[in-house]
Amino acid sequence: MKNENLFEALTARARSETPPSVDVAGRVIARLNAEQNRIERMAEKPLLWLAAASSAFAVPAVIVAIMVYNASTGPLYEISQAIAWVAQ
Amino acid sequence: MYSYPSNMVLSILPGRIVSLRAERLLVELVYSLMDSEFAAEDRQKTNASLAAEREDVRLSRQGDSDAYTRLIKQHQSHVSRMLWRFSRDRLVHEELIQDVFVEAYLSLGTYREKAPFGHWLSRIATRIGYRYWKQIARRGETESFSLAEWDELPGKSPDEMDPGQAADLLHRLLAQLRPRDRLVLTLRYLEGCDVAETARRTGWTKSLVKIQSLRARKRLEKLFAQAGKELRR
Repeated sequence: MKNENLFEALTARARSETPPSVDVAGRVIARLNAEQNRIERMAEKPLLWLAAASSAFAVPAVIVAIMVYNASTGPLYEISQAIAWVAQ
Repeated sequence: MYSYPSNMVLSILPGRIVSLRAERLLVELVYSLMDSEFAAEDRQKTNASLAAEREDVRLSRQGDSDAYTRLIKQHQSHVSRMLWRFSRDRLVHEELIQDVFVEAYLSLGTYREKAPFGHWLSRIATRIGYRYWKQIARRGETESFSLAEWDELPGKSPDEMDPGQAADLLHRLLAQLRPRDRLVLTLRYLEGCDVAETARRTGWTKSLVKIQSLRARKRLEKLFAQAGKELRR
């Protein structure tokens, strides 16, 4: 028998092979849950950094704003303005 | 063609003499009517199972893990059978099956339901199996094989061989080829796919499948020729 014929005869025989039985449902669902958690964590990370940067910028901005407000509206400010005008 | 004893037909038409050919035609007609009833029942069952499958796909898209578990249980033996051609290592084989279902779940949004879910899965399984072959080829992990093994085949004909033994031998033989050649030969000969089905699974055109099959067969012949051995019967 030629190689070709032997090859085809063997493939025909191999087709009737029974593969090992498997049950992967539980493991697939577990992998999908893990993947889902990983994706959620990845999605949360940039938001965390954005929140931290916003806070870091907002706190000094609020402090400066309070200081400026107090300075511009306090009674001492009006007196100092008047003194400055007289002094000129 | 059914062949039934003539008395069976005579019992249908008592007192009439009909020719053998007419008898057969009549019996075939009766049985074809019965078959068509069974076929209609089968079609109803198939439609019902397809509808249930579509519902499970829809629920899976919404994140219902029970629905996806049902889909896995329904299709895992089919996927297992396909991927057993790609790896005969049980651990790798199981890992590949898991990869198929994980990738399928993550790509559910691209499934258009034009073909049954199993057909769509077989495309993913082929892609994953092929990717695995390319990975092992890049790493140079080709399984050892000597053509002398062919000569050591039992004296009996391949038809009498154990299917597992035949599959194992072919698996190691085809591993000597490039992944592309190996894929087309596996699909065409081991899976028994025609050109259209091979094209569908691989995503190649039909012309490419034909050319690739021809080239792969030539390379296989070359492999035998290099060894300088003409196989014994």
